[in-house]
Amino acid sequence: MELNLAWRLFKRELSQGQLILIILAITLAVLSVTGLASVSERLQLAINGQASKFIAADRIIDSPNKIDPKVLSLADEMGLSQVSSMQFNSMLYAGDAFQLVTVRAVAEGYPLKGDIELSTGKADGLPQADNIWFETRLGGLLGYPEQIELGNAKFALSKEIIRLPDAGFNPFASSPVVLMRIEDVVKTQVIQPGSRVTYRYQFTGDANALTAFEQQAKPLLNTSQRWVDVQSGDSPIAEAVKRAERFLLLASLLGIALACAAIGIAAQRYCQRHYDVVAMLKTFGASAKQIRVLFGTHLLLVTAVGVCLGLIGGLGLDRAITAFLPEEIAAYNPPMMRPVMLGLGTGFISAFMFSAYPLMRLLAIPPLRVLQRQLEGLHLGMWLHLVLSLSAMAVLGYLYSQSLALTLTVVAAVLLLGVLLSVLGFFMIRLGHSVGMKTTNPLQLALAGLRRRAKQNAVQLVGFSSALVLLLTIFALRQDLLNEWQKQLPENSPNYFLVNIAPEETQPISDFLAPELKSAPIIYPVIRGRLTAINDEVLISRDQKQDGVEGRVGISRELNLTYRQTMPPNNEIIEGEFNQDKFDVSVESGVAERLGLSLGDRLTYTIDNQELTVKVTSIRAVHWETLQPNFFMIFTKEALAPFAYTSMSSFHLDDSQRGVILELIKQFPTVSIIDVGAMVSQLRQIIDQVSLSLSLVLVLVLLASALVMIAQTEAGMATRQRELAVLRTFGASGWLLRAATGLEFALLGTVAGLLAVIVAEFTLYLLKTQVFELNVYMHWPWWGIAPLSGALVVALLGIWRCRQLLNKSCGELLKGH
Amino acid sequence: MTILNGINMDVKQGESVAILGPSGSGKSTLLGLLAALDSPSSGSIKLDGVALENLDEEAKAALRKQKVSFIFQSFMLVDTLNALENVMLPAELAGVDKAKQKAEAMLERVGLSHRLTHFPNQLSGGEQQRVAIARAFICEPKVLFADEPTGNLDSANSDKIADMLFELNRESVTTLVLVSHDMELASRCQRQFIMDSGRLTEKVSDSTMAQSAELTEEASAWS
Repeated sequence: MELNLAWRLFKRELSQGQLILIILAITLAVLSVTGLASVSERLQLAINGQASKFIAADRIIDSPNKIDPKVLSLADEMGLSQVSSMQFNSMLYAGDAFQLVTVRAVAEGYPLKGDIELSTGKADGLPQADNIWFETRLGGLLGYPEQIELGNAKFALSKEIIRLPDAGFNPFASSPVVLMRIEDVVKTQVIQPGSRVTYRYQFTGDANALTAFEQQAKPLLNTSQRWVDVQSGDSPIAEAVKRAERFLLLASLLGIALACAAIGIAAQRYCQRHYDVVAMLKTFGASAKQIRVLFGTHLLLVTAVGVCLGLIGGLGLDRAITAFLPEEIAAYNPPMMRPVMLGLGTGFISAFMFSAYPLMRLLAIPPLRVLQRQLEGLHLGMWLHLVLSLSAMAVLGYLYSQSLALTLTVVAAVLLLGVLLSVLGFFMIRLGHSVGMKTTNPLQLALAGLRRRAKQNAVQLVGFSSALVLLLTIFALRQDLLNEWQKQLPENSPNYFLVNIAPEETQPISDFLAPELKSAPIIYPVIRGRLTAINDEVLISRDQKQDGVEGRVGISRELNLTYRQTMPPNNEIIEGEFNQDKFDVSVESGVAERLGLSLGDRLTYTIDNQELTVKVTSIRAVHWETLQPNFFMIFTKEALAPFAYTSMSSFHLDDSQRGVILELIKQFPTVSIIDVGAMVSQLRQIIDQVSLSLSLVLVLVLLASALVMIAQTEAGMATRQRELAVLRTFGASGWLLRAATGLEFALLGTVAGLLAVIVAEFTLYLLKTQVFELNVYMHWPWWGIAPLSGALVVALLGIWRCRQLLNKSCGELLKGH
Repeated sequence: MTILNGINMDVKQGESVAILGPSGSGKSTLLGLLAALDSPSSGSIKLDGVALENLDEEAKAALRKQKVSFIFQSFMLVDTLNALENVMLPAELAGVDKAKQKAEAMLERVGLSHRLTHFPNQLSGGEQQRVAIARAFICEPKVLFADEPTGNLDSANSDKIADMLFELNRESVTTLVLVSHDMELASRCQRQFIMDSGRLTEKVSDSTMAQSAELTEEASAWS
């Protein structure tokens, strides 16, 4: 019977529009969660997919020796595709000419992802037996011979490679690459015991299988074996993607928090509207259980409608955004399970947790209310409401983000807002006592209004200020992230790298490029050297350390050293002063930290079998993501003058200037040109996509804020009407009432704006230090703008909401129609 | 704060009783106590033989469901339900069979058969109170409590509503406890009590005394 009644009540209230606000609030929460989750999942999948083309696989194991066959059979069991390859350096002969090359010997099936780009287009398959494919510049170096010798075998040089999919991005790779079949390696007999070879095993498969494989295979690897996945690259892409992901998460989290607030307020209104109904039902003898079932079912129906609409809207949103995305991204179709489950969870958890307290109060309404209308029954205190709401928010936040830091930041922000509001509420009631109700001055009338409605105002402030906090935080963070990315990839970021420039070619190349670039390119000399001692203490390698050798750990590979008169662009000095004396050296901050260096330390290098000792006189921060040549160590020219060097450079050329590159290859055949244009445009694409999703988030957030604000002014319209009626009766002019109402809302907006700035600055501080690793700074203009715009927006909203009341005559107001 | 003091009254089955008094005299408080909506701080109330002070809220609700009904000054209809659904409400709560047919019959009885699907805001005040009367009688209550039933109506409508109320009351032999400050309405009850500053005294007039004596005899004859 109660179910019937619940259904009837629901049907009627729905058709009369009484449930619009609460359903809209739930719909919005579900819509934003589902929509954003599926969009970010799609982006994530697409970005990983694109990035995995860069490593030609989903996962890679690099090893100095053949790996345990158990690992490979494990991959088979998991249903992964795999391909193995070898990489080693060897001398290649063509008649009298010879050249050191990097040999990539690959098995059938390579590459698992991406394509080998040849001068004739995309490669179909691998080199045939006894054939070698070669990098363009090798041809230049050897004079395009037809046949070459590698070890004891002869090969035909058949095709030119433009790019291998897993070539990586290493402008320092000095020797040209050749590609051959792994079966041919035996014939060459170059691999002997003790030869330096890297065995590379590449894997692809679906996400679950990869995860399972990772869990089981990783423990089987030893320390010399390296596990590589898309994220582990130090590529600027990985960092940009991670930050964007975190931002999307945070925005959705804050969106959820706000939608929750909207649901909370709507639920309170929903319950208040039913106070009389409950009192009446109880009077007619409804048992507590009947009322529980009745309103439980009613709320369930309301939530179900909201959730359904939200899911439909969310999936629609996903479709709409997908339509705007480039085809290669739109082609990725992530499973909808997670977004849908998240949406469902958000809808039901938030609706029930936020309604719990108002519902408890509703159920506790005493039947005597039918005779004494002011009775409300149960007062459990706001703390219970707060605890329930916060835990709902925390549970949802954690479910959604799986990040404790993000969740706790949002909860901390909400808590701070709560504390500020209660302090403010307390003072508002205290201070307001002195203000009377003089009906001549609109400001006094407004102040009196604020005081009388102190409790209701506190609720309104929650809505206004949390909407503003959200807006400010998201806005600031979006701007910071975009600026950061823009800094990494300015319009003219380099798309070509030149390496292996011989000393005598430096000037001709500079002269050749200067007219095209409108300025001389910056050319960096590169000298290879090994750091052997710090303050005369001989360094040991990481492997030695693991074998129990005592001593300070150094860098176990050769470093690329350079010299310069001035600081390179995109570097900044953190400590000390840039090279002044001959034996000064400037060290990059990351490596300085890793090696435990400080100003004044003496570093000894071995270069060309000679020792060179220099003193650390400055420590530099370097933006590694900038796609500029960057160096750990910068010396003075005098110090490095005795050593042989080659040079490198990077520059930007428009697509229309491709002819310049062809001419460059022709004139300087031994210089290697690395085209990173593809990578740059990919990075740009990702940034564009992310910007788009950030803007979308902003729009959603604005919608949610507007909803909360409208919900806010809705509350308390009835009491306002009575008050206006009384004031009108006693002769207050229309102008006075309008001004007083406007001022009251404006004051409320000012306070909300001020609160929002405080909380937003606090939240941004937490986020930037704990989650995003961005620079913290105060947003001083906000301290003026937020209260002012808060006042303006809230006042306009308030007057708009009250316009009908304000235009009514005294009689109409008193009648209440 | 003591609101009611030294109140002693006894209402027989089928009797109609008015409680008169100025605003704030405690009439509504007394009504709340008698109707098992509220509990007295001391003293005892028996409703149809059941001592209310021993009952918890649930038991009181069950008692109200079985034996009691109400009419209010502000009608207390559910805005979002139509006339028919409002009348059905108590019957449905009590699990009465054929609630819809009964409600239709009741609405016909109060002359609103043409207004079944109208919502309260589409009905006049008098019509709303007629819906409330239909709702009050649908479960055939033993006792009907009416709180200023004509308080929100103009005099023409007031008379109509009062006629309807007393007529139905007579037909169904329901005990009526009516709270009002309207002397005319009160005078239509068999007995009148005056409430003043928390004290209750019965107004004794010749005619009512005679009626009352008759009824008391009848009531004792039943018991």
